Amino acid sequence: MTDTVIEVEGLVKKYGQLTAIDGIDFTVKAGEVFSLLGPNGAGKTTTVEIMECLRTLTSGKVHILGMDVTKEPLKIKNRIGVLPQDFNAFDLLTVKENIEYFGGMFDRQLPADDLIKAMDLTEKRDEYFKNLSGGLKQRTGVAISMVNDPEIIFLDEPTTGLDPRARRDVWAVVRDLKERGKTVILTTHYMEEAEVLSDRLGIIDHGRFIALGTPRQIIDAHGTGSRCIISHCDNSCTTALKGQWPTMESKGGDVVIRLENKNALPEIIYTLDRSGGNYDQIQVTRPTLEDVFLTLTGKKLAAEEPEPTADKKKRSKRKAD
Amino acid sequence: MTNRILVALKGEAKGFFRAKSTVFWTIAFPLLLILLFGAIFSNSGGGKVDLYIQDLSDSPLSHSFVENINATDSVNLISINKTADLDQYIKDHSPTAVLIIPANFEQAFIPGAGPNATQLLVRLDPTQQSAGIVYSIVYGFAGQANLMLAGGTNVITTARGDITNTQFNYIDFFIPGVIALTTMTTTAFWMVSVMTRYRNNGIFKKLTTTPITRAEWLASQILWQLVVVFLSVAVISIVGMLAFNAHMTLNAVAIATIILSSAAFSSMGMIIARFIHDEESASAAANAITFPMMFLSGIFFPASQFPSWLASVANILPLTYVGNALRDSMVYDNMTSAIGNMLVVAVFAVILFIAGVFLSKWKTE
Repeated sequence: MTDTVIEVEGLVKKYGQLTAIDGIDFTVKAGEVFSLLGPNGAGKTTTVEIMECLRTLTSGKVHILGMDVTKEPLKIKNRIGVLPQDFNAFDLLTVKENIEYFGGMFDRQLPADDLIKAMDLTEKRDEYFKNLSGGLKQRTGVAISMVNDPEIIFLDEPTTGLDPRARRDVWAVVRDLKERGKTVILTTHYMEEAEVLSDRLGIIDHGRFIALGTPRQIIDAHGTGSRCIISHCDNSCTTALKGQWPTMESKGGDVVIRLENKNALPEIIYTLDRSGGNYDQIQVTRPTLEDVFLTLTGKKLAAEEPEPTADKKKRSKRKAD
Repeated sequence: MTNRILVALKGEAKGFFRAKSTVFWTIAFPLLLILLFGAIFSNSGGGKVDLYIQDLSDSPLSHSFVENINATDSVNLISINKTADLDQYIKDHSPTAVLIIPANFEQAFIPGAGPNATQLLVRLDPTQQSAGIVYSIVYGFAGQANLMLAGGTNVITTARGDITNTQFNYIDFFIPGVIALTTMTTTAFWMVSVMTRYRNNGIFKKLTTTPITRAEWLASQILWQLVVVFLSVAVISIVGMLAFNAHMTLNAVAIATIILSSAAFSSMGMIIARFIHDEESASAAANAITFPMMFLSGIFFPASQFPSWLASVANILPLTYVGNALRDSMVYDNMTSAIGNMLVVAVFAVILFIAGVFLSKWKTE
């Protein structure tokens, strides 16, 4: 299970003058869940679409299952599964018929009923695709992407535009794929999603990796350390804390202090106790990938949904689960 | 490879029959065409001209004259009361042709009657095409009567035959045109709609992630369109035969022409869809291209009547050759000309298919 299934070396993609991918390297081992994380337009989709043999590359090397994407695209396509961004299937075919349709495109094909069972779609087996909710459409999409029994499955923004419940549904599916021993390549602009699901991930911005490793490694390397939040401090508390930690942040009575060493927390409690003031509660938070991204790029990642372009409007039409 | 084409074909067929309104319009369009043309051109009474007659003579001789005209079965006779005020009657009933038999009609038959003893008056609406026909009919009968009165015999006689050896109905001449038109509209509009839809909703994107190639997919669509076209041809034939007693002679050349025409116009649809991305404008563009072609390619209006510059436009339109090939093979039985026209259609089909495969894009950007 430690074979390298994806090797990307010095990948560059240019569209005329614009450099979409500016030299990235990574490898993925069999059975891993690897995420590409980044804001819209960072180059995530371009990167996966080159791996999926949908786009050409400008320079560099990309090997999928030992095959060169520029030389054996059809062979690669036969052995990978893809859930494209904004996935859609045939509206007037049922779940089962859609799986069989796409299955028929490959050299080998798993029985549709097995996939329907695996994706927990038995009840919707004979439902037209157009009548499914957004979450069920995505699950059908994953079932379709597994129809050729691929070794690697690419999920390109599988949860964008889904409501929270449907999103959790997709997460469960990703975990299930991992249990089945599949290698999963996931792109997302939700930090939380990447953190929860990935074995390893790469944060991509302006076509380059700004961090690469396990979520833990990345947070440890680039994180800001744990923080202590004291909520509803009164004036005497705030003044006392400010004396000890001049760099603390204070927002509407909530005080945030960066914990630089392990003695910091007892010292805070001691200071609060001494001040004789009132506060509500003390909370310690670990930094998240979101914080890492903020530190590395100075911008927020998925704070708000991207601008609703024509493309996005279509997604929001997906029914809620 | 063939398996992928068949799978795509099957999927398209299932979706088609489930989209009830698509099925309805696909069948309704040729059906409407054939019913319209059948009603306009069938000779079961519809082709007769109305002739109003005011018989001022009201004599046995004038009755027998009218009876003779009636026997030709080419006019509907409507009689006007001899006491009626004709001008008022014309105002009230808007007849397009009125024959007035004068009161002195019998005079002509009295032995020894001089020249111009009596005069038949035909009042016509000159804007009506039938005016000439009505006048000729009356003129012919007057001539016959003159000849008879003069005691002459017919030295020259005429007989009427069809332009072809087989007995054809008028509608038979239009069926090839209806079929040609159907092959064009069905395939071009389908292709435009399916390609813009699949591109915009991401189905093409998903298809590109599988091993199917563009040429395979396009071939599957063309094959599927052949099924739909032959379904339409069947509707046209069955309705034509049952309702209008049409004769269908679908020979090998006609069938090959239908296949090639479907391929050519499917490919044309692909090319239109390549350049116009949203579904509504793409189908408007398809309309803008097919509609003039319908009139210019001599399917319903003979291109020989066009001014020369328009005729040269007709010469470069594929539909012209489809219509000619079908008419030559199905009606005139002129196989040499039919095959020549069919080969032109084949050349169009090959060029358009290759251009379609190379030009069509599956991706959004």
